[in-house]
Amino acid sequence: MRARSAFFAGMGSAAIIAVGWQAGVGTLVSALPESQASASGTSNSVSTGTSATTSNSSNTTDSSAAAPAAATAPVASGPADGTYDGSVVNTRFGTVQVQAVISGGKITDVIAVKLTDADRKSIQISQQVAPMVRSEVLTAQSAHVANISGGTYTTQAYLQSLQSALDAAGFTG
Amino acid sequence: MTLTAPKPTSAAARRKNVATQREIQIKKRYIARLRRGDLLETIVYFSVAIVLALFLADGGATYFLSLKDVTTGIGIVTGLVGSDLMLIMLILAARIPVIDRTFGHDKALAVHRKLGKPVLYLILAHMFLLMIGYGIAQGLNPIAEAIDMIVNQQDMSIAFIATGLLIAVVVTSLVIVRRKLSYEFWYIVHLLSYGAILLALPHQFTQGMMFAEGTWARWYWMALYVGALASITIFRVIIPVASSLRHDLRVSSVDIEAPGVVSVTMTGRDINALRAQGGQFFTWRFWAPNMWWDAHPYSLSAHPDGRSLRITVRDLGKGSARLLSLKPGTRVSFEGPYGIFTDASRTTKKAVFVGAGIGITPIRAILESSDLDPLEATVILRGSDAQDVYLWQETYDLCVEKSASLRVLVGHRPKGVNTWLSAEAYSKGESLLTLAPQIKNSDLYICGPTPWTDLVVRDAKRLGLQDHQIHAERFDF
Repeated sequence: MRARSAFFAGMGSAAIIAVGWQAGVGTLVSALPESQASASGTSNSVSTGTSATTSNSSNTTDSSAAAPAAATAPVASGPADGTYDGSVVNTRFGTVQVQAVISGGKITDVIAVKLTDADRKSIQISQQVAPMVRSEVLTAQSAHVANISGGTYTTQAYLQSLQSALDAAGFTG
Repeated sequence: MTLTAPKPTSAAARRKNVATQREIQIKKRYIARLRRGDLLETIVYFSVAIVLALFLADGGATYFLSLKDVTTGIGIVTGLVGSDLMLIMLILAARIPVIDRTFGHDKALAVHRKLGKPVLYLILAHMFLLMIGYGIAQGLNPIAEAIDMIVNQQDMSIAFIATGLLIAVVVTSLVIVRRKLSYEFWYIVHLLSYGAILLALPHQFTQGMMFAEGTWARWYWMALYVGALASITIFRVIIPVASSLRHDLRVSSVDIEAPGVVSVTMTGRDINALRAQGGQFFTWRFWAPNMWWDAHPYSLSAHPDGRSLRITVRDLGKGSARLLSLKPGTRVSFEGPYGIFTDASRTTKKAVFVGAGIGITPIRAILESSDLDPLEATVILRGSDAQDVYLWQETYDLCVEKSASLRVLVGHRPKGVNTWLSAEAYSKGESLLTLAPQIKNSDLYICGPTPWTDLVVRDAKRLGLQDHQIHAERFDF
């Protein structure tokens, strides 16, 4: 290969990688604060649904146990405090269901009842992605948050389940 | 012995003008080939860059934020780059016409061979790093992790088998081992590489999610896989079969040129459409008992005349010896034409042809099909004795026709001297430069046994010839 062409090939390759890097920066940024957040011990219940060993969280929040005040009639001023079950969403990587905890008219927590767990890779993705989505949701106070790339299935199913929980709560954001 | 035709007497000025135009044409053709080569090489670099970019775009960089994930991250990257290069290897071996025309089939295969070991190392690194990386995540040692992968995870057992096949392919391809095994055994084991690629595919869907829906990676990898497998199928199977059927080639005569040397002439339909050039080779398969399962590469020994193709073969192996028993009318199937040991790869106006023993066959054919003005060509032939210079009369006639200078060096090489010359020529002080005074401004075509060829190339480089001027066909593959 001639020197000039080698130079262009090298620069072109660098540019392609740079574009990829730039496209991936979103995930990098959202990963950073989250790793600090999980280190400081924010509750991020992740249930893997299988006997996988790496669940680093507190135990599964069972939907029946965790929904003591489900669906009391909403007051005119806004949704009633309580924990609302989201719908069960099936993906090719497993089933996803979340619960929304509403307190004082705000989303105060999102509890993952079940996350994608078709194989260990999905479990890893769940564990990585769910805390990110949760923190984005808590910040945005809505299920309309950006997709976490690298975990598209989990994110979409998570948000879909959450939206149905918010609908059940009559939460309009 | 030197043979020179009388100088042309026709309008010298006009000839000079035509000559420069030809020079420009040759130069243009050469530059176009260089550009095409650079473009194809750039595509290879880009393919690796795209793989890395897709990995990063999918959030791959997050693996490198914490120390425990770095092993997994590198493990994934090595697997991705390894798969990409493995498919490039496949494409290089597919004998795609544009690659053959640009680099030559032999160079493409040389790169294919060069990639073999690195690709195996990348795939092994992929396997071991993920055994460690996922093992850490699961709290298992790498061996327990491997067992867990094989037992519990979808498609992982066949992925491990694929790695085993890949090791078998690379090990049997290593030159040392290859010399101890028969070509047929090596070939069959080599077919396992397709098995390795296909067996590795499912885990890329289910575990790696390289093909996850809605991602660019999906399209990139699908295009690459489909492209590689399709090019193998099209160029190594469909086109050769279709071409063999269309041209309906049959043996028309078998002639003995010298003891142990036989010319096979084949005629068929529409031979011009093959666009074969002197200096190119085909892989031939003769549909005769005991021969049909064995395909051999032989160069054309004559420029195709539109009706027939001719090869000249010395009985170096058992396959060649059987050619003598071929009967006229025998059906012949073929793959080809291949190779750029042809006039099309010339970069200057003049040419020097050097052939040893049976290496004369492509030399004779390329001389015949080359576009050369009188006095522009020099032919140097080597043989250890007078019987070892084959197709001699034909070559002599061709040199007269083209007004080419012909030098024949007969006799064994001098003892204890590392030279390609005969003892006689060596003692007379002959060299490439005395045999072919125009050589520095010529293209040099060499065909002979590899060690001998290397010596000619060495002398040519000492004279200052550039790589692009030297075309060497080594016939012991």
